[in-house]
Amino acid sequence: MAVRLDLNDIQGLFARGYREHRYARFTIFTIGEAPAGRALLEWLLPRITTAAPFSGDVALQVAFSASGLRQLGLPDHVVTGFAAEFRQGMTNPNRSRFLGDTEESDPRGWAWGGPDGPPADGLLMLYAADPGLLERWQAELRQQLGKRGIAGTTELPARELGDTEPFGFHDGISQPIIAGLPKAAQAERTVPAGEFILGYPNARGQLAGRPLLPASEDPSRLLLPDPTGSGAVDFGRNGTYLVFRQLEQDVEGFWQFVDAATRRADGSQDSGDRAALAAKMVGRWPSGAPLVKAPDHDAPALADDNDFAYRDDPRGLACPIGAHIRRANPRDSLGPEPAASLAASDRHRLLRRARSYGPAGDGIRSAGSENGLYLICLAADLARQFEFVQHTWLNNATFNGLYDDADPLTGQHHPAGATFTVPARPVRHRYRGLPQFVRTRGGAYFFLPGVSAVRYLAQLGR
Amino acid sequence: MPHQLGVTIRAQVAADQVGPLRNWLAKVAQNGAADSLFAFGHMRGLHFAKLFVLEEPTDSGGRPIPASLVLMTEVDAPLRSHLAELIDVGGDGIDEAFGFCAGYPGPVAQRRARVAWLRRHLVRASAVYVNTVGRGLEQIRQEARLRDALEDYLDQRDWDGRAPDDVRRELQAYVAGRADLAWAMKPPAPPSLRFRVREAAHEVGVPLLLVPLLPALPFVLPPWVVLLRLSELRERPVTQRPTLEHLDELASYEDFVTQNPFAVVGFVRPGLLRLVTMRVVMAATDYGVRHVYNHADLAGIKTIHFARWVPLDNWRRMTFASNYDGAVEAYNDDFIDQVWWGLNATFGNAAAYPPTRWVFCGGARYEQQFKNTLRIQQVPVPVWYTAYPALSAVNIENNARIRAGLRGEMNPADAGQWLSRL
Repeated sequence: MAVRLDLNDIQGLFARGYREHRYARFTIFTIGEAPAGRALLEWLLPRITTAAPFSGDVALQVAFSASGLRQLGLPDHVVTGFAAEFRQGMTNPNRSRFLGDTEESDPRGWAWGGPDGPPADGLLMLYAADPGLLERWQAELRQQLGKRGIAGTTELPARELGDTEPFGFHDGISQPIIAGLPKAAQAERTVPAGEFILGYPNARGQLAGRPLLPASEDPSRLLLPDPTGSGAVDFGRNGTYLVFRQLEQDVEGFWQFVDAATRRADGSQDSGDRAALAAKMVGRWPSGAPLVKAPDHDAPALADDNDFAYRDDPRGLACPIGAHIRRANPRDSLGPEPAASLAASDRHRLLRRARSYGPAGDGIRSAGSENGLYLICLAADLARQFEFVQHTWLNNATFNGLYDDADPLTGQHHPAGATFTVPARPVRHRYRGLPQFVRTRGGAYFFLPGVSAVRYLAQLGR
Repeated sequence: MPHQLGVTIRAQVAADQVGPLRNWLAKVAQNGAADSLFAFGHMRGLHFAKLFVLEEPTDSGGRPIPASLVLMTEVDAPLRSHLAELIDVGGDGIDEAFGFCAGYPGPVAQRRARVAWLRRHLVRASAVYVNTVGRGLEQIRQEARLRDALEDYLDQRDWDGRAPDDVRRELQAYVAGRADLAWAMKPPAPPSLRFRVREAAHEVGVPLLLVPLLPALPFVLPPWVVLLRLSELRERPVTQRPTLEHLDELASYEDFVTQNPFAVVGFVRPGLLRLVTMRVVMAATDYGVRHVYNHADLAGIKTIHFARWVPLDNWRRMTFASNYDGAVEAYNDDFIDQVWWGLNATFGNAAAYPPTRWVFCGGARYEQQFKNTLRIQQVPVPVWYTAYPALSAVNIENNARIRAGLRGEMNPADAGQWLSRL
């Protein structure tokens, strides 16, 4: 059944990563008083960029955490309809343990979003085609927030969108292709829209849990009807969960580790060995070429190649089982049946909209500066998608038969250091004592509502 | 090597002691005091243990079922010495815990009286799944040490350019030459002859006994299926969701090590039809886990170390409990994707389960309903012990195969395959 997506109601981030809008800034804010928050929404409403065809120079998106929705006056019985993970928030102590946000990544030490700071109620995402435009719009946002007394703001500037993330690898290549969006027409394999947006059938042909309310609570008929025909209205329809995490990358530490691990007994170093080990950890070469297709050397011609599987590399001789991309999306390599594995992998996909931050570099960080990634991803089911990938695939030391190998790049490594195993003939190479290369510096679960839901929020309390 | 038992001890909590027991358990859990109090780590052959309270529910007839304290252990046979060790080794904890229960003889009573009391409170499981029948704790630990030793040995040398069978021969010589590892050159001993004879007799005997009933099947099965279908049509979707408080309590005991404990309890749907169906399905489950799924795999799921189905209160309720690898979300997904048919056939007979169709369909396939109902029915396990917190079931199986590969001749290709286990 073809699904018709309501692109005029869905926010644009669902349909595109704004790659032509190379400049971005994210603003986290705290809603003090509900009327001020709703007044801000009134101002935002005509300015929200939707998923409909778009050619503007500036795009603006808005999202709210559970605390933000409550603060705006959304009644408890509606908020209860959201997923438990969203309502509990990213910094719930049990969740922190689950996500690996402990030790250096403990939310108590976060720059924003932590339990002791101002609540991250809302998120404004500004994308612009040139830096001047970004600054002008950001100044406008600042003024709009300021004049309504909305405080507790944190501005998160992204680095100009380039081809590589801070460790020096081409990034963001593999994205699920969503049924119902234009790209799906040529794609062999698509993922149902309901995996990334509420109110549409998901991979199991079902609707994910969503906040419904009696039609009587929406007398102006601003919200869309519950698609099951229950007679209720659906606050969640055309909205989705947005995971936002600020991940600091220890670029220097990463390359130092790789240097030390590839130095020969006589102290000499081969830059090829260095790049090869780093590539084994990532699963792609710096250009982006996947190891399963280019096992021995970088192959820039394959930079954007996403058309590959692991069935010809079951032991991980080309791309290690523990490599970052082979665990973030194991494709056909879970278990003995490739088709079943592909179907299972597709139930744990994320729509990734990350941006890097910090000074652009050649892999060396300048003193005092912080480099990293704003991990931004969209998913209709936080538990089955984002949290599953983070816990069961990335941070899991026993992933797919491994023993002590959390993700070499992004995983939470225990104090004694993690292990990274590179399968080889006749005997694997084992690297031990991997320190932590990535730590969480801030984060929150947001909900990216449909425009009609924003309109509903704006008129609450009238 | 011994076979493994799923031991369940259940006792009614004394009338005014439910609150104090719950508080005591929470305190013991919080301080990490359980390890020294129960000394589970000193009990021979103990793989896992869990201790939890079943709250006082009211059944469909409005009859209350008193709260009870449940101790579940997965342990190497024989039962007699395990029961004795619960008192001799873990007596401090057992005395305190069951001291909240009606009629427990208490620490002043003789050891024999307390062991006898535990024995009287044993509850029979209708089926016990053991990841690999006959693989005892000692073997699991030994084979983990073997793997560590081989990995360390491999790290010390440069193997590039060597032929795989040559490398293997060197590893064989290394193991054979180490007095503390030489056992690995021999296969593990099988379970006792008595156990094997009993299991073989069961495997053959049960189908033989059923053959005479076959002619009755065409007369019994159709009306049974129709009645079940009619009963299914009266089932309602699960609309309830777990509270955040309950989720938080469950989560506070989860995701510390490789494995997690799992325990759910629910009412069997009322009526003879459901009761008989449940009993038949459980008998089939018992046969299946003993003779089909008895090595490293429960119908495609490789992450479960132990599982058991225990009927309670004269089959008014059913408990399912397990020790599994990874997170509950992944566990539930495995259920939904791989053993939905088994879950539906069993728990379709339990109240508060998503509606099933024709016994096997629907049910667990309603993802949200299924996940919600499992979380709602899940019981927090404040005291939980694992003997091998860092090993997944897949790791344990791999370790066993590393050991097995030390014996006999191998061609270079097989030797290469074997080396890839390291």
